[in-house]
Amino acid sequence: MPQDMPPTGGYEPVQYKRNLPARGFRPSVYLFGVAALMTYGFYKVGKGIREQNELAREKMWSRIYLIPLLQAEEDRDLVRRTLADRAREKELLGSETKVYNSDRFVRPTFAISPSSVTK
Amino acid sequence: MAARQPRFNQQVLIDTTPLPDNIPKVTEIGASSAPLLSASYFIGARCKPYNDDYMVCKTEANGKGEMECMKEGRKVTRCAASVLDDINKHCLQEFRRHWECLDNNNQQLWQCRGAERQLNKCVFENLKLEKVIPGTPEGETPVHLRKRQIYAHY
Repeated sequence: MPQDMPPTGGYEPVQYKRNLPARGFRPSVYLFGVAALMTYGFYKVGKGIREQNELAREKMWSRIYLIPLLQAEEDRDLVRRTLADRAREKELLGSETKVYNSDRFVRPTFAISPSSVTK
Repeated sequence: MAARQPRFNQQVLIDTTPLPDNIPKVTEIGASSAPLLSASYFIGARCKPYNDDYMVCKTEANGKGEMECMKEGRKVTRCAASVLDDINKHCLQEFRRHWECLDNNNQQLWQCRGAERQLNKCVFENLKLEKVIPGTPEGETPVHLRKRQIYAHY
């Protein structure tokens, strides 16, 4: 039996390559496009961070300028309460008793409450 | 928790005893946070020496000094009160507009630049006090003078 032979003129070339049209731009265009977009974005982010820093500085200094005022008021109130407390103690006990074994000023954490509220 | 105000079960007890008479009286400021924030840079501009005195006194007393620094504290309060009085006398309308804007905008200064610009102008013309933010980088417009605020929603 004769063997099958290739057709005369040989086989047609086998198509192994993809034969699709390349869509869009060249890849390098996309690369540079994304790079440009990122650069612009980071530029804006940087601007925003700089402005935030300045805003934080503004807020901090506004508070710094107010601190002595607030602290003075608070201290005056504390002194008033302490003196009133001492006077009350003197009136009730007849002497000033030292609760702590030191001369350091300790913020009072207790208060004598009246048995009946008078206000 | 240490600085928590003591509360009683039945009533809130407030000690209303005034200071003894040998300590000079001073009227407290009595302003809420928004007007204080609005006026803070002017208070800082006029009262810097008094504020510094007071803070030096507090530092020398290691952060205590409630009794020792009362004199400086009174000066600080009087000076701030004088600034607020002057602003109220000359720029009441602008001042009120600005701090009401601050109150309505979460006390964010950058939301109220329009009102702030008018207030700064009026205060500078009448009281010669200028808002300066220390430590602003050289050659840069200070943030409160910039035409465009990135974060403002107007």
